[in-house]
Amino acid sequence: MRITVDRDRCEGHGVCETAAPELFLIDDEGDLVFHFEGREIPEEQRAPATNSVLTCPVAALKLEG
Amino acid sequence: MTVATATPTSDVDLYSDESVLAPYDNYRALRGLGPAVWLSRYQVWAMARHAEVYAALHDYETFSSGSGVGLSEELNRVMAGGTIGSDPPDHDRLRRVIGRQLTPKALRQHQDHVQHKAKVLVEELVERGSFDAVPEFAQKFPVSMVPDLLGWPENETGNLLAWASAGFNALGPMNERTMSGFPVLKGLWEFLDQLATSRNLRSDSWGANLVAAVDSGEVEASKLSVLLGDFLVPSLDTTVSALASAIWLFGHNPEQWRKVRADPSLITAAFNEVVRLETPARGFCRLVTKDHELPDGTTLQAGSRLFLLYAAANRDERVFTDPDAFDVTRHNVASHLAFGHGIHGCVGQGLARLEAHALLHELAARVEHIEVGEATWRRHNTIRGLAALPTTLHT
Ligand code: HEM
Ligand code: SF4
Repeated sequence: MRITVDRDRCEGHGVCETAAPELFLIDDEGDLVFHFEGREIPEEQRAPATNSVLTCPVAALKLEG
Repeated sequence: MTVATATPTSDVDLYSDESVLAPYDNYRALRGLGPAVWLSRYQVWAMARHAEVYAALHDYETFSSGSGVGLSEELNRVMAGGTIGSDPPDHDRLRRVIGRQLTPKALRQHQDHVQHKAKVLVEELVERGSFDAVPEFAQKFPVSMVPDLLGWPENETGNLLAWASAGFNALGPMNERTMSGFPVLKGLWEFLDQLATSRNLRSDSWGANLVAAVDSGEVEASKLSVLLGDFLVPSLDTTVSALASAIWLFGHNPEQWRKVRADPSLITAAFNEVVRLETPARGFCRLVTKDHELPDGTTLQAGSRLFLLYAAANRDERVFTDPDAFDVTRHNVASHLAFGHGIHGCVGQGLARLEAHALLHELAARVEHIEVGEATWRRHNTIRGLAALPTTLHT
């Protein structure tokens, strides 16, 4: 399972960070940092990963695989 | 249009005074009827369950906004082409121009200003003790904030609330409320056109940034008035409703206010819970672009309109336990659809949150108990909100 971030859509609402704090971070500048860019999401993070994709309010995250 | 007899159908009038003032039993009944229900009075489909509304919002190709998101063709003809009434790729271009000024990151520079204004207002209201929370609290704050950020002087904002109200009324059917709003809306459009032509906007303001986006060729000059309107029309009545409902809900649920006072980190969830329970904008429509079959076998025909009832989805018992209760510690409150969701998800939600959180923080720091008197609700096609709310703050 992978997640892609559509940087054009992401507005930095940070809902993904709340849903999956191990995967996402809103940094001090207010920008989104995704720790698994282009990488497989570890098994134990799949539930929070799915949750983050579902709750992003502006559909900036997509699940792949 | 003819609809097969097995189709879930309802002749409920969601726009009668009775239903507008007490909508929640009707919403529950619609959720019970099926994943989509044909509203025979208005000749549209309605979705009232959370799962279906969510799925429709995330399938913007089947459920299009491009021909307007109101119930009547009269309004849809005039609103098509704005941010809310467009589809990708046009939508994404317009949205980017407004959106980059409203991201939580961009709003940071306004945070101190907003917090300071919240402090001044709350201190003044605490001093007064008793007041009507609709004009003195819920309207006063956004009206003193948004036009200023957009870039023109506060003393020119007299008509804003009337314009915003007429704009949201017009999303409904062609009833008395919609008709009486059309002349008011004409005034709004003239005003926005005039503003787009004169470009009389303070430098460094949101409005000036929109002008710069036009000048750089990022968007056409013909879109300027619509973009200016995007900051004014959807930003006021909705926020006003949420702020007044917060006072009303905390007034009736003192134990929830005690929880927030004991742990102000609950304020984020508490505001979500306010807009979940008293969703300010009941819903918006989409046009079905291709036949779409639902799990129960119902087919939504291409060319029909679909009314997405966010206010009904937010009380769906399939998603929210004890959905009619006000609970600031509800674990899944962030799943509400009060701001819509997906590509048209409210672009101003960061600003609405910034305003509401600032006010709730100032109130929590000073007010032990919120006492509310008899509330009067608005008779409005789209906005669920209070018209008057006698309030006393006890410190
Ligand atoms: C509590 C306050 C608010 C509520 C409940 C609210 C609600 C909504 C909802 C439900 C939508 C989705 C419409 C759809 O699905 O077609 C929306 C979109 C929108 N809202 Fe808000 N809103 C609020 C505050 C604001 C503010 C403060 C602004 C502007 C500064 C704003 C500007 C917009 C715009 C421009 C759109 C269209 C976005 C798009 O189509 O991409 N809203 N809002
Ligand atoms: S929730 Fe969505 S918009 Fe918000 S930071 Fe995460 S990806 Fe970006």
